[in-house]
Amino acid sequence: MNLFQIISEIEKVDPEIMDRLTHRRSALSALGDITRKMALAAAPIAIGSAFNKAVGQQTLTNANDILNYALLLEYLEEDFYAQALAAPTLAANLTTGSAARGAIQTIKNHETAHVNLLKAALGTAANPRPASFNFGTAFSTYPTFLTFAQAFEDTGVRAYKGQATNIPRTLNPTVGGNVVNLLTVALQIHSVEARHASHIRYMRRATAAGGTQQFGWITNADGNGAPAAVYGAGNPAATFPAESNVSQGGLTLTSVGGNTYTVAEVSEAFDEGLDNTTVVNIARSVVTF
Amino acid sequence: MHDNSFLARTLHRRSFFRVAGAGAAASALVLAGCAKEDTITPVPTNQQLVIGKADSVNFTVLNYAYLLEQLEAAFYDKVVTTPPADLLPGELAYLTDLRDHEFIHREYLKFALGSNAYDASFVTQFVFDFSSLTLTTRQGVWTAAQKLEDIGVAAYNGVAKHITTTGYLNMLAKLASVEARHAALAHEVLQAGSWAAPIGATGLDAAKTPIEVVALIQPFVPIEISTAYLPTT
Repeated sequence: MNLFQIISEIEKVDPEIMDRLTHRRSALSALGDITRKMALAAAPIAIGSAFNKAVGQQTLTNANDILNYALLLEYLEEDFYAQALAAPTLAANLTTGSAARGAIQTIKNHETAHVNLLKAALGTAANPRPASFNFGTAFSTYPTFLTFAQAFEDTGVRAYKGQATNIPRTLNPTVGGNVVNLLTVALQIHSVEARHASHIRYMRRATAAGGTQQFGWITNADGNGAPAAVYGAGNPAATFPAESNVSQGGLTLTSVGGNTYTVAEVSEAFDEGLDNTTVVNIARSVVTF
Repeated sequence: MHDNSFLARTLHRRSFFRVAGAGAAASALVLAGCAKEDTITPVPTNQQLVIGKADSVNFTVLNYAYLLEQLEAAFYDKVVTTPPADLLPGELAYLTDLRDHEFIHREYLKFALGSNAYDASFVTQFVFDFSSLTLTTRQGVWTAAQKLEDIGVAAYNGVAKHITTTGYLNMLAKLASVEARHAALAHEVLQAGSWAAPIGATGLDAAKTPIEVVALIQPFVPIEISTAYLPTT
């Protein structure tokens, strides 16, 4: 079982991991005065119960699977921007020293950092990079490239959000010499993807000939050229509603606190998560890998 | 179990005895807690804003998020009501969108907390103090917006690990990425090319503890914020 290996690997660099696990998991505390050896045997079961919170079409059941899923998306994004920076068809727009090239290079650097971080966290369990990513016509024109970029970034935000509740919040592995909380790191990547999405949307708005009339946030489920599935519902839809969702926690927010808000405003105020099956299907619909 | 151990830690804090709830319910709870341990009657020499509850880390985190959203909403409300004269074309539309999003976040959290909201029993709500900010110029407004949005992102990233229910964690994540979208814009409009300024070579956004965040927002809150119930990591 992978979990035993995770615990074992973590314990090599973080001898106190078992202490923390035993203090935090009520399932273990309930056993009362147990030996460390027994705790060690029981820990994977306790962590496993946290993993089992996966619902519906979420098919990821352990930390390594979640990290490898994230790694695949980061491989894809990194390669997408690397190909864009080298594409002759985009050279006239991504000129050396331009703000546009600077932004795309910055995003590419972030994706590379994410790849390296996830590989370090996975160690030998890291899946290899796919042999190639074929993005089809994505680089044919500058506006087309930005539309694809928006689709990948908005999907990336939804993908990380969809896993937030699957990642055990008490897993604190040592990555690159630092003890980190896995959930915190995932959210630190999640918000960076959101900053990327916001800026790509800003760049689309600023392109020549009027640009795309949209802001950095998602209005209704409008893709403005990006595939509709990027903004649609996942599975199950009750857990992963479309981005046009205006109801949160049972409350329809178009009329609240004595004020009324438009459907557009409410949809913008919340980003929605997506299950991993839907995310990978979206990726495979536009990328061959 | 987690909540109980948190309470135990809280009870050992010396500062706990200084806590006097701004809300009557919170005060009663604090006094009851003290009576168990000690017969000394605490004297509320300085009133404090008690965020959250001793027996629920989830309601504490939600109240913490509620305070942050209240702060952002009040900020954009003030700016949109009296915008600086030198705003560039289109900037008021951005600020209005930001205000509306924060209003909706605030109202959602207020609803989700119900009677557990830290200010549910307040007779009068305090007024946020923005006197330390320059809100008469676009430079000042966008600089402040950057600061508040970056704080929001770092606060949510840092506190998420303490939430014990998937529903509330999911909710926080839904808000966090919208704050990040706001933050990127707030940086870029003021200085082209600066949208990613807070992100270092690690490719990671900041994650701050509630204690760190409280220190950053205290200048805007006219009552001392008690950190008694807030997670310390």
